[in-house]
Amino acid sequence: MKKFLLVLTLVTFLLSVSFGAVTLTVAAGAVGIELELAQQAAEEFMALYPGVEVKVLETPDLATDRLGLYLQFFEAKSSEVDVYQIDVIWPGDLAQHLVDLYQYGGHDYAGNHFPAIIENNTVDGKLIGIPWFTDAGLLYYRTDLLEKYGYDHPPATWDELEEMAKTVQAGEKANNPDFWGFVFQGNAYEGLTCDALEWVASNGGGTIINTDKQITIANSKAAEILEQVRGWIGTIAPEGVLGFAEEDARKVFQGGNALFMRNWPYAWSLGQSDDSAVKGLFGACPLPAGDSGKGAAALGGWQLAVSKYSKNPALAAQLAFYLANYENQKKRAIIGSYNPTIMSLYQDPDVLEATPIFGSLYDVFINATARPSTASAPRYNEVSTLFFQAVHSVISGEEEAMTALENLALDLEEVTGFEVIWE
Amino acid sequence: MAKKQSSLLLKRQQSLAIKLLLPTFIVLGLVAIYPLGDVFVTSFTDREFAGGEDNTTDFVGFQNYFSLLGFTFKELPPVLNDDGTQKIDEKTGEPVYERAIRVLPRDPYRYRELSQFNWFGKRIVVGARNPDFLKAIWNTLVFTVLSVFLETLLGLFIALVVNSNFKAKGALRTTMLVPWAVITVVSARIWEWMLQPGNIGFFNMLLFRLGLGDGQASFLTSAALQMPSMVMVDVWKTTPYMALLILAGLQTIPKELYEAANVDGAHKVRQFFSITFPLLRPALAVALIFRTLDALRVFDVFQVLLGSKMYSMASYNYFQLIQNRQMGLASAIGVIIFIFIAVFAVIYMRLMGVDKE
Amino acid sequence: MTRKKTKQLISKILFYILIVVIFFYLLFPFYWALNSSLKSEAQLSQTPATFIPRDANGKISIFWNNYASIFANATFVRSIFNSIIVAGSTTLVSLLIGSFSAFALGKLYFKGKKVTLYLILSMTMFPQVTVLSGLYAVITTLNLAAVPSMILTYMIFTLPFTTWVLTTFFKQLPNEIMQSAQVDGATPFQTFWMILLPLTAPALVTTGLLAFIAAWNEYLFALTFTSIEPTARTIPVAISMFSGTIARQEPFGEIMAAAVMVTIPVVLLVLIFQRKIVAGLTAGAVKG
Repeated sequence: MKKFLLVLTLVTFLLSVSFGAVTLTVAAGAVGIELELAQQAAEEFMALYPGVEVKVLETPDLATDRLGLYLQFFEAKSSEVDVYQIDVIWPGDLAQHLVDLYQYGGHDYAGNHFPAIIENNTVDGKLIGIPWFTDAGLLYYRTDLLEKYGYDHPPATWDELEEMAKTVQAGEKANNPDFWGFVFQGNAYEGLTCDALEWVASNGGGTIINTDKQITIANSKAAEILEQVRGWIGTIAPEGVLGFAEEDARKVFQGGNALFMRNWPYAWSLGQSDDSAVKGLFGACPLPAGDSGKGAAALGGWQLAVSKYSKNPALAAQLAFYLANYENQKKRAIIGSYNPTIMSLYQDPDVLEATPIFGSLYDVFINATARPSTASAPRYNEVSTLFFQAVHSVISGEEEAMTALENLALDLEEVTGFEVIWE
Repeated sequence: MAKKQSSLLLKRQQSLAIKLLLPTFIVLGLVAIYPLGDVFVTSFTDREFAGGEDNTTDFVGFQNYFSLLGFTFKELPPVLNDDGTQKIDEKTGEPVYERAIRVLPRDPYRYRELSQFNWFGKRIVVGARNPDFLKAIWNTLVFTVLSVFLETLLGLFIALVVNSNFKAKGALRTTMLVPWAVITVVSARIWEWMLQPGNIGFFNMLLFRLGLGDGQASFLTSAALQMPSMVMVDVWKTTPYMALLILAGLQTIPKELYEAANVDGAHKVRQFFSITFPLLRPALAVALIFRTLDALRVFDVFQVLLGSKMYSMASYNYFQLIQNRQMGLASAIGVIIFIFIAVFAVIYMRLMGVDKE
Repeated sequence: MTRKKTKQLISKILFYILIVVIFFYLLFPFYWALNSSLKSEAQLSQTPATFIPRDANGKISIFWNNYASIFANATFVRSIFNSIIVAGSTTLVSLLIGSFSAFALGKLYFKGKKVTLYLILSMTMFPQVTVLSGLYAVITTLNLAAVPSMILTYMIFTLPFTTWVLTTFFKQLPNEIMQSAQVDGATPFQTFWMILLPLTAPALVTTGLLAFIAAWNEYLFALTFTSIEPTARTIPVAISMFSGTIARQEPFGEIMAAAVMVTIPVVLLVLIFQRKIVAGLTAGAVKG
């Protein structure tokens, strides 16, 4: 089978070459290191496949703008772009425009990656995207301050976090009126879906919609934790957290004005940079647990997918596999701190030397909780918007949690047509 | 003979007019006819954006419009105590009524609560099929009225100042365009940065230093501050546009009129109302039309600063098209915006009395 | 007499205070962008925010790297030229053909004038995002490169604008000018081209500047039409593609630096033309 595929690829390749040079276009991230890395990898690919030209196309930094652009291409059934870099929440929504990578040898690669991501990227048994790099929510904490107030470990539960944050904040506010206990992403946007999913899942409240396509969000565990979060606003978290995205939270934490922060792994290397006020003063660990006894981390990250409208899907698939292979992910991890999706890279000595934190991230990544994007496709965006709006109205004190969640369940039922599991 | 000549002249003018208008119509026909027609037709279908091959598009009549604009009124029955009197909420002291969700119809369409009001001792709830969009219409209208009004006032004021004689006139003429020259998407980011909650943002820092707040006001999340913030941002950005158009209008007013008025000893304020304003009307009307047209379609400021916390019509449209891929619905929103703009344009032309041929 | 003088003096002082206030209001947010563009990431996250870039000890410390890195970014530098070409051509074309129609609508007699005016206006009444996919289809059919497709599609909002504004200005010119020119034997078109057009110079400059800036600021169309032709990207698109050294980091200082830099060409343009805004039409000259 493997050989057959290889021959198939080679034949299509030769055929296309005989009709003139082949150009493959990859729509990838924006400028900067990300682009440089992608371009280097593309050049290596061209050296392997002479006669193929690979173009790397920068796309907007903002995910919504990027999605808008992709949709424009798909609407026009454009063959201009062969390989797309897609967000972890898009495979379900975009599946109809992307090829099944299993048809082009995906079986050889899928096993090396985190199973949770492969499952997320599998739609109706088809592998829609090959994982490129991953992300998961982490808890950042100030080691110096915890020590100062007599704590010898970061919080393991939300209650513990709340208690520590109160104590430390009360002590620190005297010198620094801008100091807060905990910052996270509380703005009404996709980031809140991630944060709230973590709260709810860690408290045993499920993942909004389960893999059997049932709406599970209307439950008391979910309501309970959201009420607890509402209690944080204005006490251990600033009111402004209701407008925070990732970068807002990082600015507060990195400026030395918060004890705890929920953020993605990227904040690690930036926080350790020379001009950071908290360099060498903080650590990162898995997010605290609620009633379920386990913490939950939302799964993020990007995949490479091949367009159905590509003129050379087989070759494009080879390019996607190549860009996401061990060597390239290793290079990206070392130079750009992109979290690999290939499990064995978390034991690679070079990677661990460059970014020691990767070792401890392994457990977080392998247990990461995916947002219900594949189950609710192609309506995920609507589902997520309804969810974060409901959560936002609860934590900003506009609505009572259980009422909001019951209304949400009805709204979700209308949008998806799935059955609601009432408690 | 003379009559014949003048009709010949008219004919000549008419044919010249057609020739002169031709390039405009060719260009607009090329770029506008198909997209506009497409929007109009799509608004009557359930077309999905980037729907793929296996997706069929059906004609649905006015369904998109109904689902956007549909609303209903229902009376809320009071919640009674055991003795038959109406229950009073102990905390707020307000009488208690049935929850709206139990009263509003769910079949065949679900109506969600938009707002409540009292009517002759009865409690009425307004239910809407799409409260988000109805709120977006309301937000956009409030935004448009407030910002266009303030921009016109300020713009007129700045234009009058620039039009008067003083040193540094050239400098002011140049600086007055700076806000308009800053790229819209970026200016929204500048303001977002200035409005940051916490002492990291300019306004909070200022209020804190002046002792007027705790430095933690969140302008973009608290419902009371959102609209004023939007208006403030837009007024800063687009006042120059109004000022420049009004200034150009002022330039066409013959100076002799003022000289004559000065001789007559007319006061400056009277001169403004008897000379400046009437002659400025056509220019003002056009400035108002284009400004209102932009305000009704306001997108960047809402998208960048408020995202899905508060929609304008256009940002809701973007949300439906890009995030939800409801192209039929999004097109219907486009047509509704179109109608709003058309109504405003006609009203302005009538009110300013400048649409005479 | 002295009393009148002091009164004059006071009103003069008040007037200048007013001007200072206006200056301040117009420029402050821009100053704040400039201030932020000269701060490092650490300085940006300082509390409370400072009016001048300072380090943690309160000493003034200016950070130039944001400017260095935007100019090291070849896409950004090229985007400035692209924007000048696109916005410039859009403005010239829409002024030219817009003034033709404006002359017809403002000074010539023909039937259906009102309908024509409203028809032209209606072309620009849809929100951009709704017409985008239709426009994309048109551009694909015409098989246009990115730069001409931007110029052409920007007409959708600049052409109705120039036409309408110029129409009001043509209307205000006294009819006697045309009549006396015709008596001298000039054709209506000659009257328009040689006499009326120069007289409306301030209006041309004003509408030109406003149309230029509208095209300069446009993002959504440019993003879509330059997507597969990166060399044609305009400034707003290039800025949207700024990214940090690692994913999710947002180079806010660089965005502010870019905001400052790209405002300068427009300010220069205004400086060149600002005299024209008021110079052209001294009403006395118009009298037929």
